[in-house]
Amino acid sequence: MSNISALKKDMESCSRCSHCKWVPMAQIKSSRFAKICPSVDYYHFHAYSGGGKMIATNSILEGRSELTDNVAEIIYKCQLCGGCQVSCLAYRDDIDLADVLLESRSKCVDEAYVLPEHLDVIESMKREDNTLGMLKKDRGNWAEDLDVPNINTGKVDVLFHAGCRYSYDEDLHRVAVNWVNLFKNAGIDIGIAGKDEACCGGRAFEIGYQGEMKNFADDMIGRVKASGAKLIITPCSDCYYTFKYLYPKNGLDAGIEVLHATEYAALLMKEGKLKPRKNVDMKVTYHDPCHLGRRGEIYRSGWTGDDKLLRPVRFKQSGMLGIFDPPRDIINSIPGIDFVEMERIREYSWCCGAGGGVYEAYPEFASWTANERIEEAKKTGAEAIVTACPWCERIFNDEIEANAHDIKVYDVVDLLFMSF
Amino acid sequence: MKLLSKDMYKELEDAVGKEFVSQEPVVLDGYAWQPIFNLTNQKWTPRPAAVVLPETTEEVQKIVKICNKHKVKFKPHSTGWAAWGSPSEEGELQIDLRRMGKIIELDEKNKYAIVEPYVCCAQLMAEAMKKGLTCHVIGAGPNTSALASATSAWGYGGTGLSTGYSGRNLLGVEWVQPSGDILRLGSPGSDSSWFSGEGPGPGLRGLMRGFAGTQGSLGVFTKIGIKLFPYYGPKEPKVDGVLLDVQVDVPETEKMFFVVAPNFQKYADITYKVGDAEIANWFTRSTLAAGPELFMPRAAKKIYKSKPIRSLLQTFQHQGVILLSSVSKREVAYQEKVLRQIAKDTGCVVVDLSQTAGYGFWWWLMGVRSIPTALTFRAGGDFLTSYGSPVEYDNAIKQAEVATQYKQKYIDKGSFFDDTSDIGWGGIYEGTANWGHVEMAAMFVRSDGKASERMEYLEESAESTVKQTLGLGLSNLPPGSWKIYGPMLNNYHLWQARIKKALDPNRVGDEEWYVPPIDELEP
Repeated sequence: MSNISALKKDMESCSRCSHCKWVPMAQIKSSRFAKICPSVDYYHFHAYSGGGKMIATNSILEGRSELTDNVAEIIYKCQLCGGCQVSCLAYRDDIDLADVLLESRSKCVDEAYVLPEHLDVIESMKREDNTLGMLKKDRGNWAEDLDVPNINTGKVDVLFHAGCRYSYDEDLHRVAVNWVNLFKNAGIDIGIAGKDEACCGGRAFEIGYQGEMKNFADDMIGRVKASGAKLIITPCSDCYYTFKYLYPKNGLDAGIEVLHATEYAALLMKEGKLKPRKNVDMKVTYHDPCHLGRRGEIYRSGWTGDDKLLRPVRFKQSGMLGIFDPPRDIINSIPGIDFVEMERIREYSWCCGAGGGVYEAYPEFASWTANERIEEAKKTGAEAIVTACPWCERIFNDEIEANAHDIKVYDVVDLLFMSF
Repeated sequence: MKLLSKDMYKELEDAVGKEFVSQEPVVLDGYAWQPIFNLTNQKWTPRPAAVVLPETTEEVQKIVKICNKHKVKFKPHSTGWAAWGSPSEEGELQIDLRRMGKIIELDEKNKYAIVEPYVCCAQLMAEAMKKGLTCHVIGAGPNTSALASATSAWGYGGTGLSTGYSGRNLLGVEWVQPSGDILRLGSPGSDSSWFSGEGPGPGLRGLMRGFAGTQGSLGVFTKIGIKLFPYYGPKEPKVDGVLLDVQVDVPETEKMFFVVAPNFQKYADITYKVGDAEIANWFTRSTLAAGPELFMPRAAKKIYKSKPIRSLLQTFQHQGVILLSSVSKREVAYQEKVLRQIAKDTGCVVVDLSQTAGYGFWWWLMGVRSIPTALTFRAGGDFLTSYGSPVEYDNAIKQAEVATQYKQKYIDKGSFFDDTSDIGWGGIYEGTANWGHVEMAAMFVRSDGKASERMEYLEESAESTVKQTLGLGLSNLPPGSWKIYGPMLNNYHLWQARIKKALDPNRVGDEEWYVPPIDELEP
């Protein structure tokens, strides 16, 4: 059940300053790339902004408006990228905007205002344990040629959780394969779950089916415990966010450390276990995936007060503790790379467009959002966008091909492999 | 809920496209939540009948003509912050100008830009800086529309000393009048470039906005020329962080200081002298005691209750922050010498901020981008603009003294906690010392059951500007304030009412924050 009523004070604290529409003011570098919220930038009415969605939800709670199909669409037309929350919390202490967005979706589902495209995702998750409508038996195909232990047949130190898209998107299999090989070659005792791996459940939570996540979380936690692994590595930023934020926020704890593949690789590099050697002569820029960056910030648990204005700053989910430096450290360690930054980076990065169920339900909006980012990347003069998320990579590749953009897309591990 | 007629709605759809008109209640409520300067006991402001999003001047003209045809009132807004940007009664049309967000021209040589309504000050500044220029930012912060404060409201920021205020920086206006006619004021009115607000071409700035603007009562401003000013820092500085974590290298041609005065009078003295010497780029009051409320709301109440800490904070009550900025290191060194001499002469102390931690924060966030001012209008907020702005400093001191008394009354009643500040929101503002972080009053924070007391405080402090002859109390001018101020000021409101009648024959511009037409006042 949605817990939206508990956030009424957050909603009523909105001063309608519209900072949620802009990159934090300290970081506006141009007129062209000054915006942070794809939703309001595409649909324009204030109700599409972070603050506007809070006002809309409050309007419904107060009985001024009704939840209708049209209203639900406004709520769903949002990638849940969290950019609005970063800009809001730059100046505010008492509003958890992203939680309002999540809970308003849950309210939609509670009241049966659902999207058919999202129902397909949920059906697929229930039936086949993945978000993509693929068969469960095929989940391990990506690792067919990998010589790597399966946790169902033995214990390992590190469990590699590929995630749905890396498991099923054939164009992206190489990313998962390369990460595993890279860690294996570094001497890590790593294993996979193969066809028995299941979705983390995060996507269900995001599109409003909060209860569904628990089933997947229980499955995941059980599998991890059985494996004896002390560490989970995932290359998927959505899974990472689910493990680091959604699970602990909802009292689901695997009792095991979770790292993104780029975090782990950066650690191994510091320890001298990974060392790029060959020159990679390429000018690249890095796109921060929302769910690895600002949304990947670990859930700051432990505060139970009522007045968020008095909440200690260490409990404020500002997004600045997301995973920003490890991918950059890896890229910068590769000889020959000319690394350039886009204008909107780190916690104030522009979204790729694919998150929050938008890729499935509103492809035109997703496409527009991605193209905005591609234009920003092209302005740097980079030959390639490097990223660390299968959803970002998928949509960038699709849009680059569809619109004949002169730029390539790589995962961080692609660059590493070019250098070995 | 009042709706537009089907015919009118269809005409609006034809004018701008179906996807840019809405009468969905939830969408409309996005324009009915305006806590700032909502001077009523209602949480929500009146819900518009529809909202429309034009993209061009021609579309705005069509919309206004449709309103005239159907005799429906409209209210335009740009970034849309504060109650005066929303309809004052149900049944009106909200014109949201957010699709008009282009910087059309940035003339480096003649130091001006032509901008549309939805260009925020930070955008304009970022582009201007690339050409060695910058813009004035009002106290509400860089998230506000550069056009709105110049055409339709007031505002005076930290650089007021060197840049003047928005209403004075206007260089030509494209104006869709309430009748739907388009008029270009200033040099663009004679098909020239946008270099002058007073001509060649019609120079009607006084009629168009007067001192405080008409808050959208006299039509829609779709384009302005706005004056830009020299900026000597790096064109694209490398800035890390978003607020307190900001780090940036401060160029040697910029230098910031705290100026600490022993009392209000000395603070006024140094402010006069710094102004006369023309050495400062930015100068605003920035008391030490504002910090806890602004950046440490969690600890603020405890801090203000501690007697030793209160004493320390009050020692730095009359403190300002000043930015010296010039084309050369040598000139900044000269400016610093002048500042130090002035401080010596006035019994004040100068603290070199370049020797402190967080120097980049002070320079970039405050001196350049005016961001701490954006921490206003929230519970636990603050407000900073230049000391003295539209009134002389001696009046500012008097305002602060009076405001302290009024505020104390409400502190004693328990409406606010005692944060040591000497002024507050209400009638007394912008012209005062500009440090009054009782934002709980201006904001719609009514969850603690003290809203009515705060409203009472706002009303009483607004009245104090009249009773104590303090000048116009801008911050809390309620709708209908002309009834109070008009007769006191040579019946200026009758002229405004004649202008309203002449320009808006069908009375379609929402006049709540302006005046009614003359035939209502002098039937």
